[in-house]
Amino acid sequence: MSLSAQLRSELAQLVGQTNQTVRVVDGQRSVRCEADRVEPLAVTALVLVLETPELANVTLFEIQAASADLCRRVNYLLEPIAPIETDSQGCSVQMRSNPPQQDDNGRRYYELHLSRGGSVELCRYEKQPGQPRTRVPAVLTHEVTCRLVDDFVATVEGL
Amino acid sequence: MEIQRDNRRFKEIVRGRIKENLRKYITHGEMIGRKGRDLVSIPVPQLDVPKFRFGKNGSGGVGQGDGKVGDPVGQPGDGDGGQGGAGSEPGSGHLLEVDVSLEELAEMLGDELELPRIQPKGSATIEAEKSKYNSIRQTGPESLRHRRRTYLRALRRQISTGNYEVDDPRVVPIRADHQYRSWNEVPLPQVNAVAIYLMDVSGSMTDEQKQIVRTEAFWIDAWLAKQYHGVERRYIIHDAVAKEVDEHTFYHTRESGGTRISSAYKEAAELIARDLPVDQWNIYCFQFSDGDNWGDDNRRAFELLAERILPAVNLFCYGQVESPYGSGDFLDAIEKEFGNHEAVVTSEIADRDGIYESIRTFLGKGR
Repeated sequence: MSLSAQLRSELAQLVGQTNQTVRVVDGQRSVRCEADRVEPLAVTALVLVLETPELANVTLFEIQAASADLCRRVNYLLEPIAPIETDSQGCSVQMRSNPPQQDDNGRRYYELHLSRGGSVELCRYEKQPGQPRTRVPAVLTHEVTCRLVDDFVATVEGL
Repeated sequence: MEIQRDNRRFKEIVRGRIKENLRKYITHGEMIGRKGRDLVSIPVPQLDVPKFRFGKNGSGGVGQGDGKVGDPVGQPGDGDGGQGGAGSEPGSGHLLEVDVSLEELAEMLGDELELPRIQPKGSATIEAEKSKYNSIRQTGPESLRHRRRTYLRALRRQISTGNYEVDDPRVVPIRADHQYRSWNEVPLPQVNAVAIYLMDVSGSMTDEQKQIVRTEAFWIDAWLAKQYHGVERRYIIHDAVAKEVDEHTFYHTRESGGTRISSAYKEAAELIARDLPVDQWNIYCFQFSDGDNWGDDNRRAFELLAERILPAVNLFCYGQVESPYGSGDFLDAIEKEFGNHEAVVTSEIADRDGIYESIRTFLGKGR
């Protein structure tokens, strides 16, 4: 069973529960979802991360290409995603909502990290006026969550 | 003399208007693009300058033509003219461009923000040659002719030769009487100051953030230049890698690399060690970043700051400029690590309106 199918199944079993960490494994790859709350249709996730040793030896060029590919694929979130910073020393790429969502209550944006080592990670931040930036749960439907996992896997496989 | 008094009064009015609007000028930095060598041209709003108003030619005038005592005096052009229409273009708001010296601006800034005078570190150890007009010679250009001394010499000559008449006291200098001002090179002790600007140009720093940095740096420069003669400026940009650049590059570079603040600290420490002997220079560091430092770089950065930079500088200022993604954690980290260090000053600049308070915070220590 694929990682996304396993995750869908796990989330279905946790409906109504709070502060849960869901972990599913498929061979060398594993997905971890730290759920603030699981509801029938959606999960509020503090972090969604794919971990795999397949990213252990990638070059900076490869990881930049993979991040561009990931940004093209993940076009169904609240804001478009774009690479913002590339760390040549740590060999990782930071992607963020570009532009971030902005209203009277402040700014919110997704942040994705693709790192040699390796992992693909998604979380969401909020910056309210006059307040420090905080990590907030990203509200993702089960369908979007599973699609994200599929796209993370496709990105890794494309390397 | 009358016109000098009017000119002085006009300057006082202009200065008052600039001071009234100084916060706006500081915040919006609209004058920076107008900077010349020593002067800044400032658009001063709503300054009514007295001026002549001319009538129409050939339309008569007050006090002309036939009339008797008691007749009302008509106005030129009475009876003619129709209803005027409103203009379609916005008015200029009586903007007047006024040249103000950087020194005057700095003085206004100091008054407005109640900034203390800077106490230079150590004594002045470097001497510079300066020309001082402190002697008189028999030859020189006419522009430097010393009239009083020339006439005194002519008077002495006329008296000694019997050509001076008390009843007709005319003094006529001849060529041999001419005296000219002249100069000597005198060594002057000079206190040296350098401002090192460090800026994060990583992908998350946008042009807006850089404009904020530029505006703040302009005012810091103006203040330091008033406190020290010939402030030197050095610029360092960094993302994951740092390099020293010129002023234009500093403000116009955008990289997409990650943020490693330690790289900038390393570059600054090397610059100080190489070019700026600590006993001869008053060193000021101004760092600007959005505070999104990568990984575990804070530890390395703080080691460099504590060991190699802080012992050498008068003041280390860190300004965290908020990016579209908010502010990073570096400000909290540096405050936690160096919050009690007397040379470290931090400020958070949320937007352009934050520049004003940030300058006050940075320069308010008087170091």
